[in-house]
Amino acid sequence: MTRLNLLLIVAVLASAFWLVQVQYRSRVLYSTIYQAEKESRQLEVNRERLEAELRTQGAAGRVERIARERMQMRTPTPAITQYVTRSGAAMPEAAR
Amino acid sequence: MSRPLPLASSPLLASKVPPWRSKLLVGLLVAGFGVLVARAVWIQVVRNDFFQRQGEVRFARTLELPANRGRIFDRNGLLLATSVPAPSVWAIPEDVDATPEQLARLASLLEIPLPELKKKLADDDKTFVWLKRQVDESAWQKIAEMNLRGIHERKEYRRKYPEGEAAAHVVGFTNVENIGQEGVELFFNKDLGGRNGSQRVIKDRYGRVIEGVGEQVPPVDGRDLQLSIDSKVQFFAWQKVRDAVLQNRARAGSAVVLDAITGEVLALANYPSYVPDKRVNLSGAQLRNIALTDTFEPGSTMKPFVVGLALETGRVKPSTPIQTAPGKITITGSTISDAHPHGVLTVEEVIQKSSNVGTVKMAMQMEPREMWEVFSAAGFGQKPQLEFPGAVGGRLRPHKSWRPIEQATMSYGYGLSASLFQMARSYTVFAHEGEIIDATMLKREQPAKGVRVFTPETARTMRRMLQMAAGPGGTAPKAQTVGYSVGGKSGTARKQEGKGYTDKYRAWFTGMAPIDNPRIIVAVMIDEPSNGQFYGGAVAAPVFSEVVQHTLRMMGVQPDVAVKPQIIAPQVQESF
Repeated sequence: MTRLNLLLIVAVLASAFWLVQVQYRSRVLYSTIYQAEKESRQLEVNRERLEAELRTQGAAGRVERIARERMQMRTPTPAITQYVTRSGAAMPEAAR
Repeated sequence: MSRPLPLASSPLLASKVPPWRSKLLVGLLVAGFGVLVARAVWIQVVRNDFFQRQGEVRFARTLELPANRGRIFDRNGLLLATSVPAPSVWAIPEDVDATPEQLARLASLLEIPLPELKKKLADDDKTFVWLKRQVDESAWQKIAEMNLRGIHERKEYRRKYPEGEAAAHVVGFTNVENIGQEGVELFFNKDLGGRNGSQRVIKDRYGRVIEGVGEQVPPVDGRDLQLSIDSKVQFFAWQKVRDAVLQNRARAGSAVVLDAITGEVLALANYPSYVPDKRVNLSGAQLRNIALTDTFEPGSTMKPFVVGLALETGRVKPSTPIQTAPGKITITGSTISDAHPHGVLTVEEVIQKSSNVGTVKMAMQMEPREMWEVFSAAGFGQKPQLEFPGAVGGRLRPHKSWRPIEQATMSYGYGLSASLFQMARSYTVFAHEGEIIDATMLKREQPAKGVRVFTPETARTMRRMLQMAAGPGGTAPKAQTVGYSVGGKSGTARKQEGKGYTDKYRAWFTGMAPIDNPRIIVAVMIDEPSNGQFYGGAVAAPVFSEVVQHTLRMMGVQPDVAVKPQIIAPQVQESF
């Protein structure tokens, strides 16, 4: 009888410690997941910010200004454009 | 060796106390424990809510999971609006113990004057004061590095508009709470907005989240929008309108570019404009989307509809001669005249030379109802069905109240009003083989379904007349552009102020290209040009020409007019 009781006490204690341990581990893991999610959100936000920055740098207005002022480029017109057909041959003058 | 003491029999230990007293004591102890147990049960089982709540207050928190506001793209997937982090800086005044140098640096990083910053921090009684809302992420990084006591941030988001001024009126903007205030941001606020989620969590004493409680309410991100706008066309149109406004010392200007096949709005540009990221001291004139909100008398732009109706009903043919001499006509006592008397003109030439008298003569053969029906079928007097706030419908009075002189003036575009956008859309009647199509701000792949106003033959005939009007001998030869055939109608009107007309003008041009198979409709308006020139053909037509040229090239439309090539082929060195 006493032996059985002892055995049960040991079992109860073991399961209690195990429970505490599992609870602790689950909390550590949850906390890690939470941190990782937070970081992922932060990275996502950063990506968004950089994309917007990239787009601002590549906005039509800025590209046009730099092309014109710094690189002395000019807007093409049909007069200085060679139109080609899909086969790659230059289009005959009459077909234009 | 000792003898065991007979305790029980010791007279010294013999108790004189009656045995009930010890029983009473035991009873009291048991009762005491009973009370404690009952109390414990009461607190922990029966009425546990108070302490449960108190406990939760100390470690459970509800976290808000912010939803992202949807992004706005142009038709090619380029960003027009997105949300970026913009921390708001706040302070607890009594905690702040910065040195004067630190304060000066803080003020410059926050871009607020130093006295203002000092004033905000002076009130020690306050426990919370905003220093500046929505600063740049980089500025906050620098402030955080200063490690000041009592200065904190709150994570917030701000909209960023990469296209800046050029697309400001289309995209609009949001306020500090991220709610749409203008343009697409306002019209689609609900779709873009999204819904924040929440999650209840338990935090440990270091403030780390260690456990989620209950179900998470996931955040619902706002829907991304793809507009029909082409940001390059938009920018170019805006740039050309700006140049024209500055060159003509005008008050304002505006341009609309429509896809003649799908009805998509490719560009909607206004000048003056504003930078949507930095909105300070904005005036109403800058904010107004002139193309949609300003109505004016469409003038000569209306003539093609009257002539189209005359052709459609078989009253005239393009070659029918009409006597316009002596350049005047009197209707119920009022005289209508042409700018230059022309003599006999064919119907085609009436459009080409923009003769008021010729148009009136055709209109007076018609019933007011017929004219009214064509005008309203072309969208005049009706609010356009456009996904955009603030579009107005202009004015077209019911035909029953038209007097003869009013019918006459309406035939050449006076006595009714329309916005530039309505005029552009009405020309889809000619560009889309006689059908008017609905315009849209959202990307649409398939051709629009139209409502028939004229037969395709009439539309084609009218296009040829519009081409003549924009050609040599027409009113707006400056609308022509290299490589593409164009057609359209210019208009010039004195502005009405109060009851009378002033000597301020408004000039516009509405047209399409390439004329045989129109791909785009472009309408340009310049308000109060005051640098000598004020006719639509001189002020607005050149802008039309450039916008058409650029837009068709961007769309990859091959030139339909022979161009003298100026390509210098590289010389090949002959070898021995």
